Amino acid sequence: MTFATTKRRALLTAAGIAGLLAATPALAEVTVLGWPGGPEETALRAAADAYNAKPDVAENDKVELLFFNRDGFWDKLQADLAAGSKAFDLNLLATYSIGRYAPFMEPVELSDEAKAVYGDSVLATMQYQGKQYGVPTDLSLHFMYFRKDLIEALLKDDAGKAKYAEISEKYLGKKLEPKTPDEWTWDDYAATALYFTQAVNPDSPTRYGTVLQLKNLLFNIMVWQSVPRAYGANWMDDSGKITVNSDAYRKGLEIYKLLYDNGATPKDSLSYEFAEANAAFASGQVAAMLQWNAAAGDLTSKEKSPAVAEVTETVAPPAGPEGRFTHIHGLGFGLNKNAENKEGAAKFLKWLSSKEAALTYAKNSGAPALTPEVVTEVAVARPDLVKLGEFAGKYGYVMNGATSAKALSVYELQAKEFTGYWSDQQSIDDALANTEKGMADLLK
Amino acid sequence: MASLRPSGQQTQIGAMTIARPQSNAPEFRLLATPLVLFLLVFLGFPALVNLVYSVSEVSFETLRQPKFTGLANFLSVWSDAAFWQASWFSLRFGVLTAILECLLGLFLAIFLSPLIERRSWLMAILMLPLMVAPALVGLMYRLVLHEFVGPVPYYLWTYFGASVSFLGPGSAFWTLVVVETLQWTPFTLLLFYMAYQAIPSEIAEASAMDGARSLQRLWFIELPMMGPTIAAALLIRFIDGFRVFDNVYVLTGSGPGGSTASLSIYIYEAFFKQGAIGKAVAASVVLFVASFAVLYSLNALASRRKGAKR
Amino acid sequence: MITALRWFVFAVAAIALNFPVLVTLSTSFKSARELSGNPGLWVQAPTFENYRAVFEVSDRLNIFLYLFNSLTVALMGTVLAVALALPAAYAIARGRIGERTLLPFIVNLRAVPLIIFAIPLYMMFQWLALLDTRLGLGLILTIVNLPLALVILVNAIRDLPAELDEAALMDGANRTQILIKVVTPLCRPAIVTSLIFGFITAWNEFLFGLMLTTSKAVPVTVGASFFFAASGGGVQWGVASAVMIVGALPPMLLGLVMYRQISGSMTAGAVKG
Repeated sequence: MTFATTKRRALLTAAGIAGLLAATPALAEVTVLGWPGGPEETALRAAADAYNAKPDVAENDKVELLFFNRDGFWDKLQADLAAGSKAFDLNLLATYSIGRYAPFMEPVELSDEAKAVYGDSVLATMQYQGKQYGVPTDLSLHFMYFRKDLIEALLKDDAGKAKYAEISEKYLGKKLEPKTPDEWTWDDYAATALYFTQAVNPDSPTRYGTVLQLKNLLFNIMVWQSVPRAYGANWMDDSGKITVNSDAYRKGLEIYKLLYDNGATPKDSLSYEFAEANAAFASGQVAAMLQWNAAAGDLTSKEKSPAVAEVTETVAPPAGPEGRFTHIHGLGFGLNKNAENKEGAAKFLKWLSSKEAALTYAKNSGAPALTPEVVTEVAVARPDLVKLGEFAGKYGYVMNGATSAKALSVYELQAKEFTGYWSDQQSIDDALANTEKGMADLLK
Repeated sequence: MASLRPSGQQTQIGAMTIARPQSNAPEFRLLATPLVLFLLVFLGFPALVNLVYSVSEVSFETLRQPKFTGLANFLSVWSDAAFWQASWFSLRFGVLTAILECLLGLFLAIFLSPLIERRSWLMAILMLPLMVAPALVGLMYRLVLHEFVGPVPYYLWTYFGASVSFLGPGSAFWTLVVVETLQWTPFTLLLFYMAYQAIPSEIAEASAMDGARSLQRLWFIELPMMGPTIAAALLIRFIDGFRVFDNVYVLTGSGPGGSTASLSIYIYEAFFKQGAIGKAVAASVVLFVASFAVLYSLNALASRRKGAKR
Repeated sequence: MITALRWFVFAVAAIALNFPVLVTLSTSFKSARELSGNPGLWVQAPTFENYRAVFEVSDRLNIFLYLFNSLTVALMGTVLAVALALPAAYAIARGRIGERTLLPFIVNLRAVPLIIFAIPLYMMFQWLALLDTRLGLGLILTIVNLPLALVILVNAIRDLPAELDEAALMDGANRTQILIKVVTPLCRPAIVTSLIFGFITAWNEFLFGLMLTTSKAVPVTVGASFFFAASGGGVQWGVASAVMIVGALPPMLLGLVMYRQISGSMTAGAVKG
């Protein structure tokens, strides 16, 4: 041990970093575990500062923030909660994991304003078995990102239109003509993706028409499932019967398979997730992609994506026979059952669900889904939040059973089986049958 | 203990000399005690808990109230196709990477030794890859192999006009083998270089005097002398390849349809993603027992062969 | 001629083995803007911005703390592992104690994903107040390092001629004295090798670092990703690269210094035979 001590002294002297041991946190009394690194962190910091500055907040109820890292965040949180950690009083929650963590948490009480600020459907993203488990601070959904310049050029180009019709007839079995993206159906999207693929159309200005995220990862299934949803898909019907072995799921799987097999997305897409897809789109070699709203900042920033920032636009995902849909889930904060300062934590949560807090959060790059009345107050600073709220209200959905204790496992199962189909390791029939059987076991 | 051994002339894997049983076993026992105590304290309790979990129905919610279910977990592991798929992946991966790393390391150690003898910093350069955490190496390869921001596809596209899939269903396994081999060849290289240097120079000189050509000398004298080290390196690298986790997990996850799931990934996902703690622990027990049996019989085999030779 | 070929092979090996390191180094000097347009190895407009981001200390991000934590726990996990393994290795190699059970058992620990011990260890650590402490993580890394240290040391001791022991026994030395005075000096290369590999393994460990620490004892592998997680799970490749380079430097320097030790003691090792 003396060796270590000497080393420590040596390092201290050598580095001359006084801040090294000053990292001991001040004794704060409400510890909040947040989602690290992104705009969520910036927003939470601003909210915590605003709360701590309030005169009526007692010294021992002030808020201290804690962040792990993103890799393995949920796995670590699972271990912490299950073992009864007291390291934090409030922790991050997500719609898809609420059922898994609810046994280790306590229902919370929101402020009277919460309903007017967020609306019922958004509050529901933080509910489990009828009880409110958290304050919904950020909402995630999907946009269709597309290259405005390319689509506009195609709409004016008669030779292009003819080629487009030819391609759509050959691959999709029907003659289609180009449309503006806010009118797209999934067929239009597929036809556009094929048209802008050099392997299909050698004259295409981009190498690929789209980029799909097909890594065996649960989040990728969330992105994809808006396709089958538009054809009427659901995890189960109201009686609890698993309905995944359906034409809607089949159709959704086949569209992706068609695009992958015909080279409309990079060959390595089966290892792609969020970052890879963004990098592909930012390179300027992709015409359109379905992606999380969180990518909007980077893809429209001239600094970060110089090749595409000025020509990238977003609309809601394409429609199907049953309408237009986007997966939504919320991130929020809930109360740890083993919290040491439950009263102080409850006070902060109550404030966090107030209008004042929501506006602070929104003004500091958070992404709360606010009701139309409230969002107008930040519309100038955050026009994107208007779109977020609008899409969530109009197109948002949560699959039946997707907040249950086993929701994450269902996504894991689907990711494994469906990527197995996309990569030709099993037939679509086997993939759907295996998924149906596995889901019946998980959700019984 | 000593009386059980017929002649006392037994040797294990990696043994070059014969140890004679000594009468002062208590003293030896005392020397091994700290290690045993340490393991008992820090693994005893967790191992006990895990043994209970392996025969229980247990999830994160019931950590403190596991329900006894007998061998149900073992049965569900045994009948799980994914378990066997993962075992097969781990086995292939472990064997291939161990052999490739040892061949490459052996070649470099011997071929480059005249250079390194005089300039030890050359070895330092070759050892660099070991210093980067495998999890970060995995992350880096996500960049390196990416079609639009990675240098490898970029150069391939620029100079050959080819767009190659590195992590697609057909190629992912081999890409992972190459990634692992490139990172860990320095490990075998260092071990082999040290073993090679430790061969007494008199032997080299004597055999040179006998007119043995260098290849003959290498094959008949030097390699056999390095035998124990080679065996140890193969074993260590096989084990490490077999239980590979970090870089594969970061690079491809468990792969499309679970095609790149190693046993460690299988167990990790059963544990954390499915919350099937009993199943994950049961799979680990199976793994532990199986590899114990393999090691044990390897040891026994080595003793018998040595015994027969003498 | 043959020397030229050797140099050529060295150059190819150095580039191939270090390719990810080279890419990381090059990427660490690229701005976000350049990254999206220039995938090549050559940096057009080098920037230190990524390193500045890494070295900027805030109440949340403190690379020095992570490095210091990693250094402490890795040293603890390495030195303790060798200290425990050396006498045991001697007992196994010379006394034939536990060579059929203890040795394969411990070697086996390397084959099993130790993460299955995470939950019981977590509960035990909670009880012992070892969570989020450098001591706790150091103890775990000792377990991680034991198998390799034991294999290397048992091998090395078996390679020593037993006559040395016998001669010392004749002189009236006991086993502990032989271990300290005869075996340890002769095994120096093996000990240094165990220390180097152990240190590297400990330094690079990720999962236990993630599970068992929250803020005070966070090691650099875990702290690294604090820096580059951008919005929505993306990765800031430039910062990621810079933090990887910074994180790899200490084991690199240590490896270099220790390597001198090995080559220095090589002559001592060559006495045997």
